[in-house]
Amino acid sequence: MFGKKKKTSIITKVIGTAVGVYAGLFCVFYFDLDGKLLYYVVEPFMKKHFDNMERRDPHTVPYDLIDTEYMQKK
Amino acid sequence: MKKPDLKKLKEVDFKKAARDFVYGKPHGERRLGDLYIPKTGLYKHREWRGIKDTMYYFNNIWLYNYGMIVRDLMVYGGGPKGAIQFLKGTWRYRWMGQTYLTVMHWFDRCLEGMRGEALQASAWHFRGITSACLYQITGWFNRDANIGGDPALRAKTLGTDETVWGGIIYPYMDQGAMYLPTQMIPYFVTCHCNNHTVLNYIDAVQAYGLPGDPCPMCQAEAGLYIADDIPDSYVAMVTTNEACDSSVGTSIIQDWMMNKPLFAMPQVMQFDDDSVLENCAKEIEMAWRFTEEQLGVEFHWDELVKHIKLQNQQNQFEREKWDVAANTHSYPINGVAQALYRIFYSQYGERPFWHDVDKKVRKIMEKCVNEDINTFPMTRHRVIAWSCAPLYYSAWCTWAYNCWGLNTIINMDSLMFDLDIRTDTYENCLLDIAKYHEWAPMRRMAVGGLQHIFELWENMEKFNCDMVMMYDQLQCKGMQGVVGLFEDEFRARNIHAIWMPHALPDKRTVPRSQIRQIINDYMFTVMGEEPLDPSLLDFDDSDSW
Repeated sequence: MFGKKKKTSIITKVIGTAVGVYAGLFCVFYFDLDGKLLYYVVEPFMKKHFDNMERRDPHTVPYDLIDTEYMQKK
Repeated sequence: MKKPDLKKLKEVDFKKAARDFVYGKPHGERRLGDLYIPKTGLYKHREWRGIKDTMYYFNNIWLYNYGMIVRDLMVYGGGPKGAIQFLKGTWRYRWMGQTYLTVMHWFDRCLEGMRGEALQASAWHFRGITSACLYQITGWFNRDANIGGDPALRAKTLGTDETVWGGIIYPYMDQGAMYLPTQMIPYFVTCHCNNHTVLNYIDAVQAYGLPGDPCPMCQAEAGLYIADDIPDSYVAMVTTNEACDSSVGTSIIQDWMMNKPLFAMPQVMQFDDDSVLENCAKEIEMAWRFTEEQLGVEFHWDELVKHIKLQNQQNQFEREKWDVAANTHSYPINGVAQALYRIFYSQYGERPFWHDVDKKVRKIMEKCVNEDINTFPMTRHRVIAWSCAPLYYSAWCTWAYNCWGLNTIINMDSLMFDLDIRTDTYENCLLDIAKYHEWAPMRRMAVGGLQHIFELWENMEKFNCDMVMMYDQLQCKGMQGVVGLFEDEFRARNIHAIWMPHALPDKRTVPRSQIRQIINDYMFTVMGEEPLDPSLLDFDDSDSW
């Protein structure tokens, strides 16, 4: 399907991309870029989201007990 | 362009620099404290451990675990649908969306300075814990009514106190029944992974009117329900009075806020009295009947036996690990990995991922023993850690080894569940299960009677330890009652003991820097020693995870 030259070129590109991705990931790892992204961007964003979330008011929950048949027997 | 300083270049020992690059710096020259960005606990760059260990960390720990997290989500979550539920849960619950995403930094903190087999075996323990967490997280979200979870799965799910041993569900596992300890993932593990989140729950319950002095663990657990941050994933609940009456208070609030059928399964505090064992056994049988009624399942004895036998295998391997830890210098697991892994699997119960980890660790440990590898070569003191640990600073043992050569060999919580459950007859099995329940975390030694908390002395001898890290949970009324007795014993026995005050999940009461300062002071003034890594003596990690 492909000529020898084309094949070599594709293989070289695939290997080159894989090496580039691997090296990029190593940089993320070594310079703790994942930690920095989570600490400075993701966590503050999520915190803001959770702080503003509407939540059930616990005072509105009635203090009723479910008295199952089993508990009555006990 | 600035000219290079030739004089400085001449001073560089290139041979040594090359050796450090290939093998990593020797312990005394690492200056790990210089790697931190002040306040955050982030690294300017991660530690260079030499080519072999850095690449191991990058490939087999960092990349591997990020990959396996995705794999676990897909496998445990049941494919793309589970992945969508996971995203919904991440957006809905603070304990997930703000906490667990930082998991790889938890690995970093606990594995700092580790090399070779110690790095490998300790990391496998964290892999097991992470997998167990994802198993539960997907379990929570796939069932959660708040985010459109599956009602059929929910109908087969039992919520429990985290101090109800996971084995309670063993007889029903072949029928699709699941056990979800309600505090383990939303509360307990978060404190270790990212302690920012838990403070919200403590504040929520205090804002609701609870005084600030009860156990902060129970405060946080109750706060999850007050803050409406718990999934609606189970059909019925089993609670227990383990470890103490504060836990009973938590159960009352949980019951109030969730309003589900509940079975309270009390276990005795003074468990030495065998006359009460049968009563505990009856309570467990009643909990089983409750489970069958609520989940529509049947009791399968063979299924129970199958899982107990597998659990006994785990316990037997644990004893082999203890033997290596006690009698050799080849034990490849650091203090925090040992402690968290042991308490997690023995409390949550037998599951396949634990066996996978044990196989890998066995191989590493056998290599260490056969080749007589000194896994923690800078050990100056063998430490036993006693009582309940600070959850927000479980990585203190890694710091203490790197800074002072204090090697934590064993801790109290790891020793609690040392029981092979018999499976020869139903009666024997039930009695052993009752005993196992009585030996719950914080109960077996901490509040199980003075003679049990004083098992410290025999374990100190058994594990060849010369120093005690004595945890001092400032809001535990039970343990506060024995401080003076310990002081007397330490003096009488001439034992070096460092009291470590803390408030379990709440880092605001005793900050991590204060814990380090207490250890530093003791090591300088009482022991008259100098640090192995002075850069770790004092650094600001006040806002770190």
